[in-house]
Amino acid sequence: MPDKDPLSIDFSGLSLKTPLVLLSGCVGFGDEYTRVEGFSHDEIGAICLKGTTLEPRLGNRPHRLAETPDGLLNSIGLQNPGVDAVIRDVLPTLDFSATRFLANVSGATVEEYAEVTRRFDDSPIDGIEVNISCPNVKAGGMEFGNDPKMSAVVVDACRKATPKPLIIKMSPNQTDIRANTRACLEAGADAFAVINTVSGMAIDAESRSAVLGAKQGGLSGPAIKPIALLKVHEVYQETVAHGIPIIGQGGVVSTTDALEFLIAGASAVGIGTGLFYDPLACRSINGGIRDYLLRHDLGSVAELTGTLDFSDAQSSE
Amino acid sequence: MEEFRNVIHSLDARVVQVRHLEADQHALVIDAPVIAESATPGSFVHLGVHAEPSMMRRPLSILWSDPERGTVEVLYKVVGKGTEELARVQEGETLPVLGPIGRGFQTEPDRDRPLLIGGGVGIPPILFLAREIKEHTVPLVVMGSEIPFPFASRPSTIRVPGIPDGVIAGMSLLEDWGVASRLCSTQGYAGCYDGYVDAAARMWLETQTPEQRARVAVFTCGPVPMLEAVARLAREFDVPCQVCMEEYMACAVGGCAGCTVPVLGKNGWTMKRVCVDGPVFDAQAVFPEGTQWPGPSPSA
Repeated sequence: MPDKDPLSIDFSGLSLKTPLVLLSGCVGFGDEYTRVEGFSHDEIGAICLKGTTLEPRLGNRPHRLAETPDGLLNSIGLQNPGVDAVIRDVLPTLDFSATRFLANVSGATVEEYAEVTRRFDDSPIDGIEVNISCPNVKAGGMEFGNDPKMSAVVVDACRKATPKPLIIKMSPNQTDIRANTRACLEAGADAFAVINTVSGMAIDAESRSAVLGAKQGGLSGPAIKPIALLKVHEVYQETVAHGIPIIGQGGVVSTTDALEFLIAGASAVGIGTGLFYDPLACRSINGGIRDYLLRHDLGSVAELTGTLDFSDAQSSE
Repeated sequence: MEEFRNVIHSLDARVVQVRHLEADQHALVIDAPVIAESATPGSFVHLGVHAEPSMMRRPLSILWSDPERGTVEVLYKVVGKGTEELARVQEGETLPVLGPIGRGFQTEPDRDRPLLIGGGVGIPPILFLAREIKEHTVPLVVMGSEIPFPFASRPSTIRVPGIPDGVIAGMSLLEDWGVASRLCSTQGYAGCYDGYVDAAARMWLETQTPEQRARVAVFTCGPVPMLEAVARLAREFDVPCQVCMEEYMACAVGGCAGCTVPVLGKNGWTMKRVCVDGPVFDAQAVFPEGTQWPGPSPSA
């Protein structure tokens, strides 16, 4: 039997070639980055498709982007062609032998979440991310995800709609992410994606107007990494006993960033805004993780998950 | 317009020339042979402003590509932090670049009297297009700027019907090529038309017979109010018009849907990505007569 690649991981029953996951909303419907020469799905464990709703959505009005120090505010507003078009027109064009494809499900009502999940269940999609943390829609999204009871209701409805791996995308904009994690676990979550964007705003002082057409948006990029690391660590405290994995995400642009998320408790690492700085970042991050494993005499990336050492944390006393 | 998809190259490009022009306008030549080879007028590069990724890249229209030297030149004005950083870059430095990106202008062989209209930051792709089509068409190039033009001008020796006698300022390089051009500005620059580009273009279009207009196609790039005025003009004179759009951009490869603009298609309004669905669109689809995008209001 050939040696297992140290980068490969098992994630909720899905075997991923590498721990890197391309994040929903950053890579369209899976195939956009392949137009960049040198970009390869071989570098990637899984790709999470653009957030999908039951009906088509035009999304928010421009401007949808505003750059901030070390970060990016966006308010796309879940522009998508609707679940039926995704299943009919997009999925048949994807090469499921190259990497894993995850759907990202959103809705304005619990019923919509469940119905979109049900339709994806009857498709070749490998797993389903439940987006209860989108900050850019009026109804649903973060409104559900900031309330553990409502989160559990959504997760429970989706759980009943599919046996496929169900990944819950968590909002950083909530009071007690650990309580919400427990609620989602009880409702049948298979995994967590931590975190979605942080709610924010950009203002043009000269015109005294909001830069974004939707006035507010979600902040991503290196600016939110410290928030994300803490949230991953907090969620990990709840999931570790259950063997439930986390995709750690928020501001990953380098190998070091990816390692930090793994150490904080993530089994896989999401890259989104980082691709906008360097579309070929995955290759160097994979290489960097490989080097790290060798230097630290670790046989697989899974051995790194949750290895945060607290023994020195109080030593300054 | 049919589906468009091209190969986008990602490389670290050496800056081979930097020129600082008036009014915080700057030109940058990078060594990027694979991009130079396939760049077309209207396509752009997504340029990092530092060697290390610490800010979003900036989408910049290609002014010239030189496949023989393997270089690409961009021309830009400092408008914010990113372009401010870029203006500090020196010759010999290396910048990450993606390109060429996007669907450029599409010319039609039987429309051999193209009208090219560029305004401000929209001038580069118009000049690139003029160079590419000057051998087999008779273009008229109308350019407007409210800051000093980023190139040398001189009195034109090529008569343009409809343009008032005193309006003689043209771009020297275009003159050298035998391409008619006129410059417009409300700043009182010598020899320029005192008004906007669409008004100058209108004066020429009015002199054209219906047969002549059937050979005209309009290609334009510049600020949105200008594009809208040019689209209206083209509609009025029943000539086809392509607009090169600009929007804040993040990925520039079609992944994030951040740079979309509303476009009216056969089946109603859709949101099209400026980066890979454009940046060139049919003018009447972006600025259709008497109809507004029905998308969500800001509070949605």
